[in-house]
Amino acid sequence: MTPAQLSPNSFANYPPQARTFAVTQLPLLQSLPLIFAAILLREIHMYDSRFPAERDALQRQVSFLHKLSGPKRNEVFIDLRAIPYAPELEATDWVDDPGGFIEKLTASLWSTRNMDAFRAFATSYQRQVDSAEPAQLPGVARLGIVVYDPGGPMTLKPLFARLSRYGVIFTAIKETDGWPALLEYASLRARSGTPGFDTSFKHWYIDGGIADACKKLVPVSYGGIGDVRTKVLGVVQRGIGSGTMGPEGLRSALARMTPADVGLPDKGDESVLNHFKLSILTEGSGTQIFSTTFTQWAARECIRRAEPETLLVRFTPRQRAVGMDQMLTPGFASEPDVKGSLIDAQMGAYYTWLNLNRLSGSENSRFLVWQRGSSQALMTGPGLPKGTSSDSPLSVRQLLDL
Amino acid sequence: MFPADSLRETALKHSFNRREFLRTAAGSASASALLGFSPLRAMQAPKRPKVVVVTFGGGARDEETFAPEGQENIPYLLRELIPRGTFYTQVVNHGILGHYVATASLATGVYETLNNFAAVAPTNPTVFEYFRRDARRPAHDAWVVAPSNGFNRIGGSSRSGYGPQFAAEVVLPKRLLAASLAKGGDPDFEHLLNDNYETPLFAPELPAGAVDPANTADLLRLSLADFKAHARNLTSPDELSVYIARRLMDQLAPSLLWITLHDIDIAHSGAFSLYLQGIQRTDRLCAEIWKAIESSPEYKGRTTLLILPDFGRDSDTDPAGNGFQHHRTGDALSRTTWLLALGPGVREGAVVDRPVDSLDLVPTLGKLLNFSPQFAQGKSLVELL
Repeated sequence: MTPAQLSPNSFANYPPQARTFAVTQLPLLQSLPLIFAAILLREIHMYDSRFPAERDALQRQVSFLHKLSGPKRNEVFIDLRAIPYAPELEATDWVDDPGGFIEKLTASLWSTRNMDAFRAFATSYQRQVDSAEPAQLPGVARLGIVVYDPGGPMTLKPLFARLSRYGVIFTAIKETDGWPALLEYASLRARSGTPGFDTSFKHWYIDGGIADACKKLVPVSYGGIGDVRTKVLGVVQRGIGSGTMGPEGLRSALARMTPADVGLPDKGDESVLNHFKLSILTEGSGTQIFSTTFTQWAARECIRRAEPETLLVRFTPRQRAVGMDQMLTPGFASEPDVKGSLIDAQMGAYYTWLNLNRLSGSENSRFLVWQRGSSQALMTGPGLPKGTSSDSPLSVRQLLDL
Repeated sequence: MFPADSLRETALKHSFNRREFLRTAAGSASASALLGFSPLRAMQAPKRPKVVVVTFGGGARDEETFAPEGQENIPYLLRELIPRGTFYTQVVNHGILGHYVATASLATGVYETLNNFAAVAPTNPTVFEYFRRDARRPAHDAWVVAPSNGFNRIGGSSRSGYGPQFAAEVVLPKRLLAASLAKGGDPDFEHLLNDNYETPLFAPELPAGAVDPANTADLLRLSLADFKAHARNLTSPDELSVYIARRLMDQLAPSLLWITLHDIDIAHSGAFSLYLQGIQRTDRLCAEIWKAIESSPEYKGRTTLLILPDFGRDSDTDPAGNGFQHHRTGDALSRTTWLLALGPGVREGAVVDRPVDSLDLVPTLGKLLNFSPQFAQGKSLVELL
């Protein structure tokens, strides 16, 4: 099938909102190159389980394409059309399974050494979309907070490593436990929603352990989805045990999982959140076995997909690395690796900061890193001189007013 | 800007960075010696040369190695090995960034396109086949020590006229260990049996008889019980591989020995601290391999050691990736790495900034071991010849 052959019936198997969106955009979809149509359909296919920011991003893309004249649209796709692809890709079910199509396309791009050309096209295309249809600025300046919580006195020297050159290191934090104050501060930035959390999905709390009670923030925690992890690992174990399921088969099996499969509600705003939680485990690498990886990846995906205005992240100790087969066994847990987890958290904080800086309005964003119980914290943001330190006695809560 | 230009530009930038980083590490007093061309240590190459190739499955980025903040992770490379060899700062891999297919490409001198997750033979003749066929060498003169089941076909290609009769012997240390354990395994050894870090199904099961651990153990004059006892003191699969490699050097002294290390690839688990530990261990093991060469009567003074990662890892700044964790974006950092050569006839303290290709390895080995890799692409590294 080619894009020109698409009809409203082509989307009969799509979820309701996705189907409506696709049918509305049918003339556009019919005019696109096959590769791009499949990529766009992958986004549309998941419309019902997408965050508002993702739906806005999809709408911006579509608006951009609609505003292009025919010749201009051809110009945008000229480099993409020049990339060869295997003819059999057209015979795949790229409408109902655009994800499978993209997996095959990716393999084809690598094997024909066209990945670099595709990367160049993708970068150029996204630049044009962002220029013509800029992302909305946040309602309030974004705030990211990362807390290392090793559960004991162990620390690292230096504590902030790669981030130190971008902000102020405060060396005289005067209280040993500002965590409750940070949680409260983040909560106050959120609006209340019907399920008890912010349904605009703009204010988040990600925790590597058991999340503390916090009604308004969107909660995701490693400890809170232990049962889901067990079920996902069960699928992995069945794949290993089958002796016939290759990596592609396992990826497909994980991609097919729904919140209902793991006992999570699959309706309304909770459904959107539960799809997100499940995706952290089915799409992430290492998120099923290491809480630090789970936390970093969940923060990364939250930033990329939900574009949060508030993000509170707490890293807690992960289990010590042992044999991979053991760690992939549902229910297995070795003792904590506190020092290793601090190093992981340090890098996780840096990546969270980097990713927040990719969002609109980043010039006004603020970012705080602190180790629970430590007298040191680091803050970046407008007006805070880079690569400096301060011995002013402040609480972590007071840092947020700077 | 075309991607190739962008890639070259970024690769060049990192090449200069690596040179600068080396200067920093060596200190100003020794900078001129390090960066200049020293006299040849031996004017004539030995008559019966040997080569040991060490590849890393899972590259390490400059930030964690040659950059000032990363140098603490590679003390052996910086202080002991690089000053004694020729260092290429810019080796670019233009192929598929998967470990098996990339290692196969390194071994054939052609960018292979085989399924990275299948135990299939390379399409083009391997360096081992060229060597054994042209030099008429017996099977036990070319060996591969490989990290996982998926590499068991790396020794020989499917090319007509080549293939199993000229292939290298492949030893999979984890298979040896598994064979020494009681059925059902032993939790004390689980950490040594990690087959891959990218997906739990990365390594296909081997067909019955594909590898005979008992036969390999016999060749190495190694009782599986002794092997198990020794393994108890090891901390990682790569230590197991180096132990086997040393045993091979002692017992069979192959002329061509290829060791593929894999511990660094724990980075796929997303734990930065484990990735750093992998780099530190690999650094130490490279020094141990060189020490083994220098202390072996069969190898000392006649062996060229080549060390190179198969490719790099994603940069922190590419939004399509997740930094150190993977090598999926195809960005310049994930494609660009380095190569170090040591041995007789190799200039000490030399740094080569010109860009070279991963495929240049096989033609270079051809010159060193006197065979003609007729299907290999790439060009010999003239600085080593």
